[in-house]
Amino acid sequence: MDWLFLFEVSLAGLGRGGLYALTGVAFVLIYKATRVINLAIGEMLMVGAYLFIGFGAGMALPLWLAVILALLGGALLGFVLERTAIRPLLGENPISVFMVTIGLSSVLVGLVEIIWTANPRSLPDLLPRDPIFIGDAFVAPKTFWSFVIAAGVIAVFLLLFRFWRGGVALRATASDQGAAYAMGINVPAVYSLAWALAGLLAAGAGILLGAISGASSSMGVFGLTVLVVVIVGGLDSVLGALLAGVLIGWVESVAGVYLGGEYEQLFTFSILLVVLLVRPWGLFGTREIERL
Amino acid sequence: MSIRKQLAVMIWPVAAAAMMVAGSAGAQDKEEIVIGASVPMTGPFAFAGIQFNRGINDYVEWVNSQGGIRGRQVRYIGEDTGYDADQSVAVFRRITSSEDVTFYFGDSTAFQQSIEPELERRDILMTGASFASEINNPEEYPMQFLLGPDYGEQVGILLEYIADENPGASVAFIHSDTEFGRDPIEGGKKMAEDLGLEVATTIVTPPGSADVSAAALELRRARPDYAIMHGYVLSPIPAFIEQARQMRLDTRFMGTIYTMEQGIIDQMGETAEGFLGVMPYRYYYDENADEAPLLQTIREMHDEYQATTYTQGWVAGILMQRIAEHTLDAGRELNGTNMRKSIEEMENIDTGGLIGKKFSFSGNSIPVGRIYRADVSEGRMVPVSDWIELD
Repeated sequence: MDWLFLFEVSLAGLGRGGLYALTGVAFVLIYKATRVINLAIGEMLMVGAYLFIGFGAGMALPLWLAVILALLGGALLGFVLERTAIRPLLGENPISVFMVTIGLSSVLVGLVEIIWTANPRSLPDLLPRDPIFIGDAFVAPKTFWSFVIAAGVIAVFLLLFRFWRGGVALRATASDQGAAYAMGINVPAVYSLAWALAGLLAAGAGILLGAISGASSSMGVFGLTVLVVVIVGGLDSVLGALLAGVLIGWVESVAGVYLGGEYEQLFTFSILLVVLLVRPWGLFGTREIERL
Repeated sequence: MSIRKQLAVMIWPVAAAAMMVAGSAGAQDKEEIVIGASVPMTGPFAFAGIQFNRGINDYVEWVNSQGGIRGRQVRYIGEDTGYDADQSVAVFRRITSSEDVTFYFGDSTAFQQSIEPELERRDILMTGASFASEINNPEEYPMQFLLGPDYGEQVGILLEYIADENPGASVAFIHSDTEFGRDPIEGGKKMAEDLGLEVATTIVTPPGSADVSAAALELRRARPDYAIMHGYVLSPIPAFIEQARQMRLDTRFMGTIYTMEQGIIDQMGETAEGFLGVMPYRYYYDENADEAPLLQTIREMHDEYQATTYTQGWVAGILMQRIAEHTLDAGRELNGTNMRKSIEEMENIDTGGLIGKKFSFSGNSIPVGRIYRADVSEGRMVPVSDWIELD
């Protein structure tokens, strides 16, 4: 057994898991606050990557400014989607809302293809390219830096949820909407806030993912693995999204290298299957009992 | 005059005129050659589909300005499929049920595989975007031809180049876990061994794979002289090359037709420097355009760069023309069965120089291609081999 090689593969897997975790947090944020399963999360991520291309390459703005504008654009997108497509469906059958998010994903792909064409694109160079070594182990620099950034952003968000008024309102709404209303929390505003923050996080993940593997109008497929991550972690658990993201990233990398790339998704979906059989509410999700 | 007679006087000229119009329209329909097409103008393959559509449209405009094919005007009807095989079939049904279609252009391997029985039933000859090895089989797919070497042959051309340049070199195959990606791999491994090359490793990446840094580590373990990447357009090729350089590998990376479009290579930026690949058509800026009259025609129509997928649309058109001409010259009716015979009989086929060498079909394919190298500072693909024709 080449332990150094296993260590390198594991680091690569953690790097991949960081992006799953970041996007997973965006997904959980929406679900916790609004109980909407947002299947357009992958496409929201894609829009973030393309906004960065638009500001950074198209308008040739400084990259730091392009990142900020792309993040704000992602937040605005989340806000607008919630106000125009999701809020009118409040109280409707969850399946209807679920279907609307599928429709939204098609609309976002169409918009991106109209504005930026369907050509695959590379993002302006954002992350450092100097090789990173941890001991003797090589880590691809883009993977390393995207993991560091994803971890940093997640940490900031966890602190915000804990100490910021908006974060507390968000958690209160998530745990009991009626009580939150009674305490004077503006619940509709919390809904908008959750979608805007999720849009911002997804845009950030999109920029990082695009920096690693380029952008295309089909990059929203990434959202499918993120859906697995959040189901495994628990739809309403931020901690679950973090741990499941890292776990799935690691398992995919190890399985891909030692068994072959064709086994990566087999393992991902096998984990999903086992979790659904044993703990359908996810590893860290809330077990809800519905009595009829 | 009775009312009946008055009506008869009024109706007869109208009826006669209507019959004349109908008759002339019928005669015109008979003369016309219709090309139908399921083209992916939206969806993940739109970057190529839009260009196929433009290329065929421009070819039709040009051929009609030259008097058509043996005096018959050509009409093109293409509809968007979104790169969805079901939609491609629906478009095929819609077009072929309302038009007398002679040729058809398909947009994907899945569609081209599934529509073959319909082509045989309607006696239509088809070509398209697919270079799948499976379609290169006249027994199973008699109503189709490919617009270049099939994927197996493309890899074969790359391997012949490697064996010629660097005998005994080691080669890695990196491919996506899709039908497209797997297509040439087993045949490629066998051919590599036959050519005395060492197969260092085979790396598979799942479709839509986000991060290939673990797979790149596998490449470092194998340290191949060459890595042939297939089943991708752009991503994850730049990531592999970049990480290989960071790990100080000397591996030379190679790609197949859809990666070799200049617009895709440009997206790789500096990473593309030295990237090699196979292309069956001349690039827009080919330095020997004097050997390619149709390339000159394209340059006269457009004074800016045109994609190789645009040229592919032209190649589809000019090959349909050559096949139709051969069939009509032999005194045969223009249908799929007769045109199949033509494909088997034709020799020294000339595409106006768009394919750099005259050829005969080998099965359903054209096993001709050339190796190009990316020269990033010039922003061009530079030929590094002559036109290679597989035996």
